[in-house]
Amino acid sequence: MYAEDYTFFELMAVAGARELKDGEIVAVGIGLPVVASFLAKRTHAPHLTILFELGIVDPEPIHTGVGLADPRVWYRAKVMSSFVDMLGMVLHRGLVDVGFLGGLETDAYGNLNTTLLGDPKGKFTHFVGSGGANDIASSAKRVVIIIRHEARKLKEAVSFVTSPGYLRGNGAREAAGLPGGPVRVITDKAIFGFDPQSKRLRLESIHPRVTLEDVLASMSFRPLVPDQVPVTEPPTVEQIRLIREEIDPERIYAG
Amino acid sequence: MSKLATLAEAVASIPSGAHVALSGFAITRCNMAFAREVIRQGIRHLTVSQCVGAMDADLLVGAGAVDRMIYGGGSLDRFGRLNNVNRGIESGTLVAEEYSSLSVAFRYLAGALGLPFIPIRSLRGSDILARLQQIAPENVSTVQDPFTSEEWLALRPLVPDVAVVQVQVADEEGNAWIYGPRWDNEEQVKASQRVIVITEQLVPTEIIRRDPERTVIPGFKVSHVVHLPFSAHPTSVYRVYDYDAEHIREYAAATRTVEGFQAYLEKYVLGVRDHWEYLERVGGMKHLTSLLADPILGY
Repeated sequence: MYAEDYTFFELMAVAGARELKDGEIVAVGIGLPVVASFLAKRTHAPHLTILFELGIVDPEPIHTGVGLADPRVWYRAKVMSSFVDMLGMVLHRGLVDVGFLGGLETDAYGNLNTTLLGDPKGKFTHFVGSGGANDIASSAKRVVIIIRHEARKLKEAVSFVTSPGYLRGNGAREAAGLPGGPVRVITDKAIFGFDPQSKRLRLESIHPRVTLEDVLASMSFRPLVPDQVPVTEPPTVEQIRLIREEIDPERIYAG
Repeated sequence: MSKLATLAEAVASIPSGAHVALSGFAITRCNMAFAREVIRQGIRHLTVSQCVGAMDADLLVGAGAVDRMIYGGGSLDRFGRLNNVNRGIESGTLVAEEYSSLSVAFRYLAGALGLPFIPIRSLRGSDILARLQQIAPENVSTVQDPFTSEEWLALRPLVPDVAVVQVQVADEEGNAWIYGPRWDNEEQVKASQRVIVITEQLVPTEIIRRDPERTVIPGFKVSHVVHLPFSAHPTSVYRVYDYDAEHIREYAAATRTVEGFQAYLEKYVLGVRDHWEYLERVGGMKHLTSLLADPILGY
C-alpha cells in the first residue's frame, strides 16, 4: 500500500533504498544515504552489508550521530578497522557494489564537487574536499548521487571535479582508467539515469505532484528527456513507518 | 624502558619545520592538548598530515603553526567546516596538498612497508589530481604495470618525522591499544620515524601482555609516552568520553572570523598555563564528568 503522507526527503530515501539489492555491499557517508541503506536492510535487502570509510561494518545505531566521527554511528558494528581495510581491501579491491554520494554540485555527466565554489585559480570558497568520496566514485561498481534539486547544484559542468562521474562523456571515464560510474541521480523532484552512449544525464521519472516544467526550471542545463516520463513510485506505508519510527525517530537526518 | 614524559617535554622534542602525522578524524581522538602545547611553545613551519582533516590540525593552522597540510579533505562533521584550514587555503597562506582519504592512507601504507611508490585507482580524471600536479608534482606520477602494461597513477610514500597518536590505553614503553575504528592511525604510526603516544589511561606492561592482540602501536617505535586524561577534549575518545558539543559549537562559531579565533586562542590556549588549567577553564571536573562514556554505548 502506497503512502499518502510523506516528505520529499522520505521519497528520496526510499528511492535510494530501491537502488540496493539483497546481498550487495554499500559504502555510505552520513545523512540521507544512511537512512536509505538502513531502510533497504530492514525491507528487501536483509543481507546488505553497510560500510563506513573509517572502518565500520554493519552498525546498529540507536542514537543519531553528527557524522562519521560520532561513536553513536559505530554502535554494535560487526567490524571496527581502518581506511586501508574498508576503502582499500574492500573498495579498491572492487567489492563495493554501490556508493552513495552527495555534494555541493553535480553536472550533466555525474561529476561531483565537494571541494570549492568560485574560480579555482582565483577567488573561491573552500568547503570539505573529498574524504572517501573520490575513492568511492573511482572504484565502486555503481554510484548513486543524492542531491537537492536546485539550479546552482545541477550544472552543465561542475567548477571542480572532486569525484569523477563520466567526466565529459563519450568514453572519457574509461579512458581515465576508471570502471563503473554513476547510475542514478536522485533529487527532490526527479530521478535521472545516464544515456548509455553519450553518458549524459537523462530524466527517468518525475516525483508525484511535480511537473516536467518544475524539473527543468530548476536546473542550469537541459538533461535528455524521453517522450514518455513515468511518475516515481511513491513510498509504501511500511517504508514511511520504518523511517519515522525506527530509523530516524528524532528526525535528525530528515530535518 | 620507561618513556614517560610530560606533555611539555614530548612537544619540545619536535623541531620547527617537522612533518607531524596527527591521529584525529574530524571530531574524534584529536590531539587537542598536544596542539595547544605546540602553540604555547611557539613551534612553527610544521607539515601536518592526516587522512581526514580534523580539529587538531585546524587549531594548529589557525595559530599559524603550519606551512603545509597533506590531507584528504575534512570537517567538524555537522558542527561545521575547518574554517582555519579553509581560510588558509583561500588566502594562500597554507599550502594544501589535498588528496582523498584512501590516497593519503596509501601513501602512509607505502611508507610503512618501505615501498618506493604505490599505485592507486583513486584521483584519476579528477581536478584533485590536476591540482596536485601543480602544487606537489614530486608526489604524483604514473607507472606502467610490468605484467599487463596498464598505466597507473603512482604516489610517493609518506614518511612523517613523528606520528602523534591519541589512544585509550598504553604502558610506559608505549605499547598502545586503540579502541574502536583506527582510520589511518596504524599506517601513520608504522610509516613515521618515531611516535609520541598520548594516552588516557596508563597501565602496567603486564596488562598489555595479557591482551597483546590489541596492541596497535608497538613500543619500539615510540619515543615519548604522555599520560594525560581528557587530552582529546573537546573531541571524543571512544569508550572514555563523548565530544563536548557545546565547546565544539563555540569553536566553530569563533573560527568564522580571524578575530573570533584569536579570542578563542587567548582564552583557551595562550591564556592558560597548561592542560590542567585548560580543563578548569572549560568547566572543570563537574563538566568533564558529564562527558564520561557509558560503558555499554561507548559514548
